[in-house]
Amino acid sequence: MRTLGIIAILAVLLSTGLWAATEPDGFWTGPVNDPVPTTIKGGKVIHTRDLAALLEKKDKVVLVDVSDAPRRPDNLPATATWLPVPHPAIAGAIWIPGAGLGAPPASVDEFFRQRLATATGNDLARPLVLYCHEKCWLSWNGAKRAIQYGYQNVYWFPEGIEGWRKAKLPTEVVQPEPTP
Amino acid sequence: MGLSKSGVLAAVLITGALLGGFHPAFADDEDEKDRAARWKQLQESIFPHREVLDSGGIITVDAPPRALDAALVPVELQMPSGKPVKGVYLIIDDNPAPMAAHFVFGPKADPRDLKFRVRVNAYTNIHAIAETADGQLHAASRFVKAAGGCSAPAGSDEAAAMADMGRMKLRLLGNFNAGKPMQAQLMIRHPNFNGMQMNQITRFYTPARFIRTIDATYDGGQVFHLDADISLSTDPVITFGFVPHGKGQMKVVAQDSSNATFDHSFDVPGG
Repeated sequence: MRTLGIIAILAVLLSTGLWAATEPDGFWTGPVNDPVPTTIKGGKVIHTRDLAALLEKKDKVVLVDVSDAPRRPDNLPATATWLPVPHPAIAGAIWIPGAGLGAPPASVDEFFRQRLATATGNDLARPLVLYCHEKCWLSWNGAKRAIQYGYQNVYWFPEGIEGWRKAKLPTEVVQPEPTP
Repeated sequence: MGLSKSGVLAAVLITGALLGGFHPAFADDEDEKDRAARWKQLQESIFPHREVLDSGGIITVDAPPRALDAALVPVELQMPSGKPVKGVYLIIDDNPAPMAAHFVFGPKADPRDLKFRVRVNAYTNIHAIAETADGQLHAASRFVKAAGGCSAPAGSDEAAAMADMGRMKLRLLGNFNAGKPMQAQLMIRHPNFNGMQMNQITRFYTPARFIRTIDATYDGGQVFHLDADISLSTDPVITFGFVPHGKGQMKVVAQDSSNATFDHSFDVPGG
């Protein structure tokens, strides 16, 4: 009977797709907007209130938004309206689209590595916070990549910009870095 | 027995709690303000120095409030008033290329009901704007919850999609009565790549290639001209009205961003 109860819980959770994912061994190459795990090996998970406190306490935190950026097609007519919505980021963040892809081209990987090196002043101990949107694997991958580069204080913020805005915390509009 | 019951109850409660906390409250004041500012920006950019009036019974727009597939969101525009309409625009406010479609109606059109499918990139307002024959703009809007339609993988086999490109079908809906409006459904095979979809194997972005214009004529008389770009869904399906006078030919010509032209003529049997 106890087993049946547990099975019922599992069945309902699985059928609604809300079961938190387990950590993959490597990068996640499945759908980007999918349930995410609650952990990240080699790094720390940080939630909204703790992130706000961390940013208040330390001014040397490097914040990285790895959300996708819209790409204007080369063959879109010059007369077409191209007006991406302003991209709100956590105040102080840099936006590096592409850094959270499951299998980015080598040029993107190298760009991300260099950009982090510059932002941290080549200090592998600098705290790094990676985020994108809620229920979005890009930030998990981005954090995992930073951990692999050797950064020792990598935080992953799974609530993303939606969680940050919901808590009415400060944002600013940013432009994307020129990821190749 | 008691355990089993409480187990089920717990499952229901947990699921309810998760569902409740799962979808963020997007419609707060801040977002409302942002959306209004966005619409103002779009109006100024797309219709400079022109006034956009409210729908005034001229136009309605319908779309599912929560789209099942963000890359295939069905929209229906209705212009039931009978007031002569020159054309209609569909604007998806938060898409990077917001102008999804501009239809211009010809003398053979019945513009009262129009359906097609679009990609939606975010929780966004969509606006349908009818331009009446006397040059007035009337807007209707709707809020759609969908996300990620622009970067959603093209899905099916890319090579197969390219091989099939340009195939067309036309279905006549309802009964033919000479001189009476009827609906037709046009289907065109085209991947309509928007340049933001990543090939799941090569891991590179598939270059944009999309339908730019579609012209439908009935026995030489224009039914509609469509200007579109990357917001139209893969394999466009357009349901439109026209007025057949008798047995005739519906000719459809589509041109894409690589300047490929696809055309097909369909028999419209007389009654």
